[in-house]
Amino acid sequence: MGRLTEYQVIGRHLPSEATPAPKLYRMRIFAPNTVVAKSRFWYFLMKLRKVKKANGEIVSLNVIHEKRPMKVKNFGIWIRYDSRSGTHNMYKEYREMSRTDAVEALYQDMAARHRSRFRSIHILKVVELEKTEDVKRPYIKQLLTKDLKFPLPHRVSKVSGTKIFAPKRPSTFY
Amino acid sequence: MSEVKSQSKTFSKGTRDVPHHSQKAKKWYPTEDEAKPKAVRKSIRTSTPRESLAPGAVLILLAGRFRGKRVVLLNHLPQGVLLVTGPFKVNGVPLRRVNARYVIATSYKVDITSLDSKKIDEISGDKYFAREKGEKKTGEDKFFAQGEKPEKKKPSSSRAADQKAVDKALLSTIKKTPFLTSYLGSSFSLRKGDRPHEMQW
Amino acid sequence: MGDAEIKASYWRLVEIGRIVLVHGGPSDGKLATIVEIIDHKRALIDGPSTSTKTAVPRQSIALAQLILTPLVLAQLPRGSRTGVVKAQWEKAGIEAKWQESAWAKKRTQKEKRRALTDFERFKVMRLRKQARFEVRKSMAKVKTAAAK
Repeated sequence: MGRLTEYQVIGRHLPSEATPAPKLYRMRIFAPNTVVAKSRFWYFLMKLRKVKKANGEIVSLNVIHEKRPMKVKNFGIWIRYDSRSGTHNMYKEYREMSRTDAVEALYQDMAARHRSRFRSIHILKVVELEKTEDVKRPYIKQLLTKDLKFPLPHRVSKVSGTKIFAPKRPSTFY
Repeated sequence: MSEVKSQSKTFSKGTRDVPHHSQKAKKWYPTEDEAKPKAVRKSIRTSTPRESLAPGAVLILLAGRFRGKRVVLLNHLPQGVLLVTGPFKVNGVPLRRVNARYVIATSYKVDITSLDSKKIDEISGDKYFAREKGEKKTGEDKFFAQGEKPEKKKPSSSRAADQKAVDKALLSTIKKTPFLTSYLGSSFSLRKGDRPHEMQW
Repeated sequence: MGDAEIKASYWRLVEIGRIVLVHGGPSDGKLATIVEIIDHKRALIDGPSTSTKTAVPRQSIALAQLILTPLVLAQLPRGSRTGVVKAQWEKAGIEAKWQESAWAKKRTQKEKRRALTDFERFKVMRLRKQARFEVRKSMAKVKTAAAK
């Protein structure tokens, strides 16, 4: 169970006499819980349409589960990111087991590289890259080479029961 | 009650009651309240020994003169006290009472069904380990006795006989298991890298 | 310039089909195989042992939590499912091979020794002493015979 969950949120403007059946809006939102998911829905909808929480309603809210959580997939993620000096669009790729894992990795990655916060990132699109040719970034491409293999030349062994003080430095090379 | 009566004294202009001296207000009061001893709210509860302390279990003593020795548990006494024996012949631990808290119970059990239960009950009794009350030297005798060495207490012959009787039955069963005699004879200590909380007993 | 001595690397590789020993976590001390490499720090593993005690559920795991063994399922296709892994696992006789290895034997012995009771520990100590004495005795005999 990761930090984030993917929700499908459907909402609309409150029906009035002029429009008895207003248009429904559907969003897939990555959020830690339903409260945040609904809040993010209104946040995005207000930017796009003239609907807000006060004059709108949420029709349905449900969790979207990963179809094959035991398969390793490549994901391409488009984001809009508010940096300290301006707004940028970005495309990043991640190799993960699920969409939510990929988005979690994205937030961590953005926090690490740009010190960005959750609030400064809008996820525009998350797409599974089914074909190898679709992968653009070299850091994912290198993992897709045929017969990939590599050694682990530098390892610190964490064997339980070792002494606190040792006469020799541990060997990390094997 | 006649003493407590107040006197009436007549003066030139009238009379006045003079109270009895015991009825007068006190001239001095204690500066602090007298301390009252606290009422004891504790009660003596019966102790239940842990499950591993079944009679016959081999124990490791952790404190006292015989610390580190492996001994055989014979019986439970009230208030979390255990009756153990070395056996004396094997490791020098006599019939003795030990605190159950200062003991590690091992999983090995010696069969003690061959032991005389009457004897054990007698030893487990209140009076068996009671201190003998000798004459107390007082005054001059005590003063002059200071220079002399006190007589060494000798083990009483009845105790020694009890020890022998208990040990005899116990030794015959102990001998049947190989290494058990030397196991009881050896004493326990922690070695380098030993982690007692992770060890199995 | 002298001739360069070229040696094949003796490193155990993180590769598909590599049998690994899980170190730490709920499946500590159990065998699994790498089914797919996720990235330079993680892999998808699967331990399809028949007994539930030694089976490792299919999961993504950090390479830091794995110890690579010399065993490999060479024919394992990338990202194969549990059924395929199980068939290959049984065909290669991984469990038996592992049990035969000195590493596994040492591990089981260690585990056994750790589970000994106080009396059993004492008996082991005494028997080891006896064995040592016998070895030294025969050694001394050979030495004196050689000195003559």
